[in-house]
Amino acid sequence: MNRRVFLVGASGLAACSSSDRRPRLNVFNWSSYIAPDTVPKFEAEFGARVRYGIYESNEEMLARVMGGNSGWDMVFPTGYIVKPMLANGLLAPLDHAQLPNLVQLEPRFQQPDWDPELKWSAPYMVTAAGIAYNRKLNPPPRAWADMWDARLRGKLTMLDDPFDTIGAALKKLGLSVNTSDREQLLRAEAEAIKQKPLLRAYLNAEVRDQLISGDVLAAHMWNTTAQQAMDSSPQLGFVYPAEGYAVYPDCSVILRESKRPELAHKFINFLLRPDIAAANALAARTTTTNSGARKIFPPEFRDNPTLYPAEEIIARGEWAKTVDPDSQRLRDRMWTEIKSA
Amino acid sequence: MKRSGRPLAIYALAAYLFLHLPLLILAAFSFNESRFTVWQGFSFRWYTAAWHDSQLMEATGNSLIIAVFATVLSTIIGTLCAYGLWKRRSPVLSGSLYLSLVTPEIVTGVSLLAFYQWIFRFLQVQLGMHTVILAHVSFSIAYVVIVVMARLRTVDGSLEEAALDLGANEWQAFRYVTLPAVLPAVVAAALLAFTVSFDDYVITSMVAGVDSETLPMVIYAIARRGVNPVVNAISALLVLGFGSLILISERLRTT
Amino acid sequence: MNRLRAWFLAPSWAVILLLFLFPMLIILAYSLLTRGTYGGISLPWSLESYQRFADPIYLGILWRSFWIAGASTVISLLLGFPLALFISRAGKRKNLYLSLVILPFWTSFLVRTYAWMFLLRDTGLINSTLQKLGIIHDPLPLLYNDGAVILGLVYGYLPFMVLPLFGTLERLDRNLLEAAADLGARPWATLLRVVLPLSAPGIRAGVILVFIPCLGAYLTPDLLGGGKSVMIGNLIQNQFTTARDWPFGSAISLALMAVVMLLLIAFVRRDEEGLL
Repeated sequence: MNRRVFLVGASGLAACSSSDRRPRLNVFNWSSYIAPDTVPKFEAEFGARVRYGIYESNEEMLARVMGGNSGWDMVFPTGYIVKPMLANGLLAPLDHAQLPNLVQLEPRFQQPDWDPELKWSAPYMVTAAGIAYNRKLNPPPRAWADMWDARLRGKLTMLDDPFDTIGAALKKLGLSVNTSDREQLLRAEAEAIKQKPLLRAYLNAEVRDQLISGDVLAAHMWNTTAQQAMDSSPQLGFVYPAEGYAVYPDCSVILRESKRPELAHKFINFLLRPDIAAANALAARTTTTNSGARKIFPPEFRDNPTLYPAEEIIARGEWAKTVDPDSQRLRDRMWTEIKSA
Repeated sequence: MKRSGRPLAIYALAAYLFLHLPLLILAAFSFNESRFTVWQGFSFRWYTAAWHDSQLMEATGNSLIIAVFATVLSTIIGTLCAYGLWKRRSPVLSGSLYLSLVTPEIVTGVSLLAFYQWIFRFLQVQLGMHTVILAHVSFSIAYVVIVVMARLRTVDGSLEEAALDLGANEWQAFRYVTLPAVLPAVVAAALLAFTVSFDDYVITSMVAGVDSETLPMVIYAIARRGVNPVVNAISALLVLGFGSLILISERLRTT
Repeated sequence: MNRLRAWFLAPSWAVILLLFLFPMLIILAYSLLTRGTYGGISLPWSLESYQRFADPIYLGILWRSFWIAGASTVISLLLGFPLALFISRAGKRKNLYLSLVILPFWTSFLVRTYAWMFLLRDTGLINSTLQKLGIIHDPLPLLYNDGAVILGLVYGYLPFMVLPLFGTLERLDRNLLEAAADLGARPWATLLRVVLPLSAPGIRAGVILVFIPCLGAYLTPDLLGGGKSVMIGNLIQNQFTTARDWPFGSAISLALMAVVMLLLIAFVRRDEEGLL
């Protein structure tokens, strides 16, 4: 008896959703990573219907699409996840004939190291990790070393992400964030453990409110989140540490399970249009990979020091690369040790 | 008995206050004009924002549908199971129910995800409402069994025997003798199952599909980015809605 | 007798077999495989994941989790028992009071947790009230420590303790209590020597329903503990997400389940009737 009721109900639900005849595209993207009118514009122009879902981390996204039956057509992985996704057979190749707007990308994103021929991915927007601080803090932090400062005890947070936190320690030691050298990694771990007693917590975007209220004076934060926070709170500032920092280019990919690759291609091409890319970057407060978009930015945005810093600051940034499998295990173990310390 | 009534009542009041304090805070700040935790005036803006947020509304609807289906199924299946086990034990079934309780949520989530992926090779089953409902039923049954079983242990088995002696068949013995005796526990179990289902984040987030986003998932996404009074507003609405339902049903019951 | 019972048990069997045992077999298989180069699973078969788990750091995390879950369970029992007692004696209003216990939990768990974070912060309600009243000068570090985690766990699982307790307490034979009173027992003695033993099944149920989820919790220690301490749930979650090491994650999960099963068997063996 129970089964029949369930089946009737379930088929009822299924019937409800098939009343719309427009082609459907399911897009899975980072939160706050698009302008509010981009999707409606696409829907109007191409007569499609878009289901837009959001996630907060690559891992969350991967866990959902790993099985090949998630239902999503497109996702937006960070560059260093593309290789693992490819290795697990999750991606559909990009047809450049359907993507004329690829030329709008900046030169350095035309041949990114994770996908030199852009066979699988189309760069979207870039984030970087740095230090956000409350201007009450005087003098303001300038380097990773300042996050190890004892006077900030209990008022510091680091990102709850192994790559970021270990990366910060590596940078403090003057090393590369992508190193697989065991000895270097162990040194970074020692640094992170040294820092732990000073930390208030390991927090991601949610630290924003505590920064504003003064509970936290300096926080390890991504520039996008920091800019969003700074928009509403002038007492916050952001700095790219002197020793260097990690850069995370995000890109769009089409999943192999997608039944609507042509529509997905249309969406990617749409996102690469300078006016759309500019609107997205402006609304989401991010760094764009689209040179056409840059040209049409309003001057205050184009010169925003947090999102579009000077050349010498950009030079200090290091792109995050795929961690090689052996080093992954070591890093994983290190993270557990740091967290349990 | 009555002598210990007063202190107990005072304690209960304090306990309820403890339980509801966060809710009251949430509700208070849902009327805050500012999005931050400094009071800046009374406003309904977050409620209008929530009402217009179609994603939030849809997720709430999904959560309700899933919870209702899952509760009905798991309560029925679980109650029958508890009764069957009470009559005669089945170590394998009990052991498996134990195990399903003991499993951490993340593991249940991953195992079901892996299961659905495996099935996907044979049937075109995509993740969706049905996968979530089934997942919820699978982890709720043990709760129902435990609650109903704890109550069954206090029921006198000879009452059923007496009914059988008087000419009732097994089904009637169950339906008219034992079931009424355990009904409060069944209701409690259903409440528990509904709560567990409506509130679940971990397992649901792993097996939900494109169209089956639930309220906890949406709230998690919003709250991860910091304080957002829209979440407060929807929570206050939910409590108001459910609270009214309960009060009304109480009224109906006692008239 | 047996036919009806078979029908009654059939749906549970179906659900357990299909939606629990079979997926668990898959997880067991995963735990014996190796991590794929870039995550996921691959051959060869090996016991390596289990061997990795037998390491002081991971066992230490397990121990810590037991301690925190245990503390949370004991506190919930102490808090929940009087409340369940009150509800069971409430006469016509029983269901109302019961529902009031559950009501907060129909808001999202995450929202309630964030509400507690708001209360416990340095600039949160509790600290600022205490400071305004002059009781303290500097804010107390109420958040991001084990105490906050335990508070969060107790708060989150209290109804799981109250409901089964209510189930048994409500059925308590009033005559027994009156008899005890007639024999001269004071209320406390009646409580300890009559009510408590009779409510043992409910207590056992409640303890199990609280201890187990607390053990495997990961959101609460993550949010209220500030990510600074690792419980076994966090460890497992990390393996399935960031580390993408499904075999290791599966091995830890099964090891945890085995340990808890052993405890449960020992716990239940003390009297003849099992819990389920």
